[in-house]
Amino acid sequence: MELVCIGLSHRTAPVVVRERLALSESRQVEVLQRLAQSPVEVLWVSTCNRVEVYLSAPDGMLARERAVSELRALGGDEALDHLYEHRGEAALIHLFRVASSLDSMVLGEAQILGQVKDSFERGQGAGAVRGELTRACAAAFGCAKRVRTETAIGRAATSMASAAVQLASKVFDGLKGKTVLVVGAGEMGELAARHLQQAGATKLFITNRTLARAEALATEVGGVARPFEELFSLLGAADVVVCSTASPVPLFTRENVGALGKGRKGRPLFMVDLAVPRDIDPGVGTLDWVHAYDVDDIQKFVADNAAARAEEAHKAGVLVAQEVARFVKERALREGMPVLARLRQRAEAIARSEVERTLTSLGDGLTDKQRKSIEAMGRAIVNKLLHEPTSRLRAVGPEGEGNRLAGAAAELFGLLEAEMEAADAEASALAPVPQQVATGAKR
Amino acid sequence: MSHTLVSLACHAYGIAAVAYLAYLVRQSDALAMAGRVLVGGGLVLHGVALFELLGAQSGRPVGMAQGFSTLAFLLLAIFLALDVRYRRPVIGAFLTPLAVTVLIPGLLMHGGQSPLPPGVRQPLLPLHITLALLGLAAFAVAAGVGVMYLLMERQVRAKRFGLLFSRLPSLEFLDTLNRRLVVWGFIALSITLATGAFFVASTIGWQWDGKSIATVVAWAVFAAIVNARIFAGWRGRRVALLTMAGFCLVLVSFLTSYDVTASTAAAMRIP
Repeated sequence: MELVCIGLSHRTAPVVVRERLALSESRQVEVLQRLAQSPVEVLWVSTCNRVEVYLSAPDGMLARERAVSELRALGGDEALDHLYEHRGEAALIHLFRVASSLDSMVLGEAQILGQVKDSFERGQGAGAVRGELTRACAAAFGCAKRVRTETAIGRAATSMASAAVQLASKVFDGLKGKTVLVVGAGEMGELAARHLQQAGATKLFITNRTLARAEALATEVGGVARPFEELFSLLGAADVVVCSTASPVPLFTRENVGALGKGRKGRPLFMVDLAVPRDIDPGVGTLDWVHAYDVDDIQKFVADNAAARAEEAHKAGVLVAQEVARFVKERALREGMPVLARLRQRAEAIARSEVERTLTSLGDGLTDKQRKSIEAMGRAIVNKLLHEPTSRLRAVGPEGEGNRLAGAAAELFGLLEAEMEAADAEASALAPVPQQVATGAKR
Repeated sequence: MSHTLVSLACHAYGIAAVAYLAYLVRQSDALAMAGRVLVGGGLVLHGVALFELLGAQSGRPVGMAQGFSTLAFLLLAIFLALDVRYRRPVIGAFLTPLAVTVLIPGLLMHGGQSPLPPGVRQPLLPLHITLALLGLAAFAVAAGVGVMYLLMERQVRAKRFGLLFSRLPSLEFLDTLNRRLVVWGFIALSITLATGAFFVASTIGWQWDGKSIATVVAWAVFAAIVNARIFAGWRGRRVALLTMAGFCLVLVSFLTSYDVTASTAAAMRIP
């Protein structure tokens, strides 16, 4: 079985292309059922930033072709220009990295794992995800959990909007039960509204000079749109305010915000200004109960996080490499065929080195023909010796008896130890630069 | 025997303090778990020692050494309860060193205790002392949390996004925790004051000595905090500072209470 990943993401494709491939759940199930005809397994991962198909098939090329034609049917020829492809171990590494949020637009964001899990469950429900992909996904989820608990990558703020939410969480103990006001329904406001909603804000109000835009955004993210005239009454009730309007003069000054102080009874207010020119006058921050942050503060916060983030991403990469190596090792133990392949590889390596040695000791006196016959003899011995065990193992197949025989062969020839050592050496040699594992190791 | 147990417990607390301080720098679940287990283990040893000791004295700590030891025990017991309930191990970085600081004089002074004069033995005394120490421990934790609040508020206001900023819990969490601890401490202190007044009045008569003044003023401060929180919406820095001031007053009252035991005995002409 070969694992193939084919797809496109925010790294390769613009949103116009990505949105064409965004399918409803029922249509995803249809595609899954078309592609996943036994023994082929299919996992269809679809988020707003990526559409990826993972295939486990005896013939990777054939399965790949069918997946590509499916993607072409959905997204047109243009979609094909943005496709990337990983095979074998590189595909595994990609799956692990995606689940661990190392390939996300907002590095370390938490939603992706849930989205991959949803895809996995949908695939299982449709019968498209079975043995091989189930094991790979389980290992990827385990890896993601390790990355989340053992590195601080999830804690690193990565965009202005998410940084604003992180800063809010230093004033409030989570946004649950909090009233949040988004002033300005532009691109930045939209991003902020989404992040605040994801952070669990209970009441989300959106206001904008053009009410229609606030309404559109409110429907999209599940908030409540309010006319701009209510700005200050909304502010009085809010705990968190994020503003990003195009107003040329500050909307909020020490005077008009300070006037709300009495009614709030000292209840803290967290204000983030993502607008340039600023919506919040610097004087507002001098109020005792207001915590006000502007774009520069947020940028400083993000910059302070950047170094830590790079380090965490590096750590996470090492973890992914370890987890992939472990999965591969376990799979090799599970399956009979790799034992056979290893056995052959081992025997060929021995034969090659012995032939080399003989040729060296015989010196330069040999003719080309003699040289070639010695080499052929080495290969022939290996082939003859391995012919019988190979055909017997193949005859019984990978299940049950085959598994037992393969295990015995591995045991007798000490293949597992050698394999483990090789895998460990490979993992430790490549671990510091996880990207190289992707290109360096193909099955 | 009990001294050895308390000494062992003190070592466990000390190592836990190191673990929690390390946690402050390098957030690792293993460190937090190590701290939790060490504090838990220390509390078991410490509890056995106190049970043995106080059981022989019908439930009353005698002398400042035992007072300190019991205080450290209660302080860490409250911390462990908070840690289990809220899972914010970073609080340990502030409270375990405080508890060790309280416990060390208790260990060093051990042995210098004098038996309680028979004349001041009262049925209400164990309740009075236990509640007094419990209240004091709650205020100590509240003051520790207050320190954390002030540190965090400074970071948030100055927009310094350093280690403390990333590690300390949110302002709201610290403020809420302070409120709960102060309310519980205040209830304990009120009962302590009532039983103490009753006890003094029924033996030697009420006297305005250092201890009673400090206690009454501390009670007034905490009463003011609780009221200001409920009715005037006070919170944050002001309350954290007031909590720390109140704690200092209760501490003074605690430290002078042993002189009072002696002076009470003297007033009653008990040798």
